[in-house]
Amino acid sequence: MPPPLRVVQPPPVPPQRPVHVEPTEFQTEFVGSRGRLFGLALWTGLLTILTLGFYRFWMKTRLRRWYWSGIRPGGLPLEYTGTGIEKMMGFLVAVVVMAFYIGIVNLVLMFVSFSLLANNFAAYAVSLAGVVPIWFYARYRARRYILSRTRWRGIRFGMEPGAWGYAGRALMHWVITILSLGLLWPRMTFWLEKYRTDRTSFGSVRLVQGGRWQMLYRPFLDVAVPVLGTVILFAYMRFTGDGIDGNLPLFWLLVPLGLWFSIGIVNYSVKATKRLADTKTAGDIGLIAQPRTGTVFRIYSVGYLLTSIAMLVPLVPLTILFGLMQIQRMQAGLGEASDLAHLFDLPRWLLIIVGLVLYFGVFLSWSVLRHVFVTMPLWRHYAQTITVTGVPGLTNVHQRARDTSTEAEGFAEALDLGAAI
Amino acid sequence: MTEVPTTEPLFIPALWLDGETAAVHEVLLILEDDANGILILEGKTERDAWPYADLRIVPDVAGPDQMILSVQGEETARLIVSAHDAGLIRARAANLRRRPPLRQKGKLAAWALAAVGSVALIIFGLVPLMANQLAAFLPPAGEKALGDATLTQIRQALDETGYGELPLCETTDGLAALRTIEARLTANADLPIEITVQVLDHEMVNAFALPGGYIVVFRGLLEKAESPEEVAAVLAHEMGHVSARDPSRIALRSAGSIGVLGLLFGDFAGGAMVLFITNRIIQADYTREAEANADLYAHDLLRRSDLPPSAIATFFERLRAEGNEDDTSILRHFMSHPALGDRIAAARAATPEGQVTVPLLEPAEWKALKYICD
Ligand SMILES: [Zn+2]
Repeated sequence: MPPPLRVVQPPPVPPQRPVHVEPTEFQTEFVGSRGRLFGLALWTGLLTILTLGFYRFWMKTRLRRWYWSGIRPGGLPLEYTGTGIEKMMGFLVAVVVMAFYIGIVNLVLMFVSFSLLANNFAAYAVSLAGVVPIWFYARYRARRYILSRTRWRGIRFGMEPGAWGYAGRALMHWVITILSLGLLWPRMTFWLEKYRTDRTSFGSVRLVQGGRWQMLYRPFLDVAVPVLGTVILFAYMRFTGDGIDGNLPLFWLLVPLGLWFSIGIVNYSVKATKRLADTKTAGDIGLIAQPRTGTVFRIYSVGYLLTSIAMLVPLVPLTILFGLMQIQRMQAGLGEASDLAHLFDLPRWLLIIVGLVLYFGVFLSWSVLRHVFVTMPLWRHYAQTITVTGVPGLTNVHQRARDTSTEAEGFAEALDLGAAI
Repeated sequence: MTEVPTTEPLFIPALWLDGETAAVHEVLLILEDDANGILILEGKTERDAWPYADLRIVPDVAGPDQMILSVQGEETARLIVSAHDAGLIRARAANLRRRPPLRQKGKLAAWALAAVGSVALIIFGLVPLMANQLAAFLPPAGEKALGDATLTQIRQALDETGYGELPLCETTDGLAALRTIEARLTANADLPIEITVQVLDHEMVNAFALPGGYIVVFRGLLEKAESPEEVAAVLAHEMGHVSARDPSRIALRSAGSIGVLGLLFGDFAGGAMVLFITNRIIQADYTREAEANADLYAHDLLRRSDLPPSAIATFFERLRAEGNEDDTSILRHFMSHPALGDRIAAARAATPEGQVTVPLLEPAEWKALKYICD
């Protein structure tokens, strides 16, 4: 409800006003420094460990708030309004349902598999197959939850219910993709994204996924061709009888093929994101995305390299500690004593605590540094290369009602689909 | 209303998101010291008034140049203020960082209880129940396969080089001695499945039974034993587990509970470790009730085989006296209740007064068994 309007005195000296001219296109900026993110990820990660993992719902919430608010299309930040408590609630709901499923189903499958087939591979396979539909369901629910807790310019995003429909279609597309030996992969990418996008709204305006699946085929070739090349290479070596040691030069062909494949797969992800974004519309509003494969590939490779190097900080002392304890034990077994052993005459509980701290330190530094060196740079690159077009169309956008479903992303959480953020 | 300001009002430029449309309003915020809130002025029109006490800051914002404000009672409206002016607002609004009250406490507690309850019901009720029932129906071939898989895992896990498997001990004379003990016991036992006794080259003082009738003894146990009767007593106990199909139960049970525990702890750092420890606790809890029955079975079997049940008492007493608990994991296995002392006493009590025992191995055979790993 707008308050009653009344006229008041204008200010005696008008202060400087923020210049906020609305153009027809919005560039997007990313604000936010690695330092702040490092602090936030470290602190929340520490709390998560200290609470045996239960703070993770709040950790995720706070990190998302940070990432969302860092993106500013047209100078105004996105806002993430999810809460830790609703995530925990959704998780508890999922646990109640899934505990029955996983506990009983796993046990029965293990029994059936051993009594009929006398091995456990079948059990794992069937158990996995049973979880797959729930996995797709969870993916859709997670996306719906995140969108319903995302705002821009005060307007909520939202997504219609449709998780089981999504799971069914995803299964169908996977079957088609597998039957086509992977050649129809882009078709799956496109139609699943279209299903999700066409059910998404920004306030009162529906999003529409335009374009056609064939537009993803060109970038897909850089994945398919190296795979095909590898298959042909192996078939040829098999056919001619040139084993791996028999024909070394031929074997070395795998190196460029592998490199081509890894760049190809990054390129496919980047180009698919771009083309799918470019063909999305919400009324008159559209997007232009210009992410660069080279940049994304560099972020991945340099980012993970830096993360791994920094991991050595807790990993090296941990290894040394374990090594020394091993030596000490062996010497005790041989009835010898050395200065080295005396070094570790410290109480056992102290060694265990130091070991535990280092052990968790390894996990913590991995997750924190991955945020700083990989997730954040990727996030920034994708944000900075996106342009919002048809800005005047925003005048038609009105608020939508709050999505009150309480399940949050519980199933995704329970099935460990959380990913980075 | 008296409109006479005691001090000059402050004007702060801001962006106002009305929460109903996607429009961005350029507004002026009027901060008067004697007023109890902010006035939001667009042009000459007052659009809203936000009480200082109800102002909240939007937390964890990445951009240091902006302060984003919300107000209690309006979910979607926002004010975006330049960081330059943030201090002016902070000075007046006392509750900026107050957290929203926790809603739906009861509902949350109910779901938490339901989750804990259903997990407990499944892990401690349904899964053991089903495991107990199903274990009896597992066909011998299936049980054997399960045992094979488990034995391979154990041999790989214990191998200190990190690759390969812990070797089996099988000198010809040693095996012959082992078979003699085995034969004496099996002649008097009616087991549902044929047993296979194997010795693993490891210093651990322990023995255990696996699905499919596998009984594994570690070299450490043979070294600590001072008579073949002591080894036979340990084997008889493990045969008790085999007879009750305990190992198959544990295997089926852990298949069910590991998944559920993984669900509960999620992917937090070291979740796997917590998982492992928790599962160990559950297993130990499970074996406790089985231990007593295995003991009873062993006493009976030993008596019928003309062997003294008190041999196990002698063995445990020696281990306990050595007090070397670190590598005597068998004590831990047997320490689960009934307490070790009671079990030693029970073994003594199960030995009939003036029992006529028939010696098990010749001294040479016993020596061969002790050095089966050489
Ligand atoms: Zn036992």
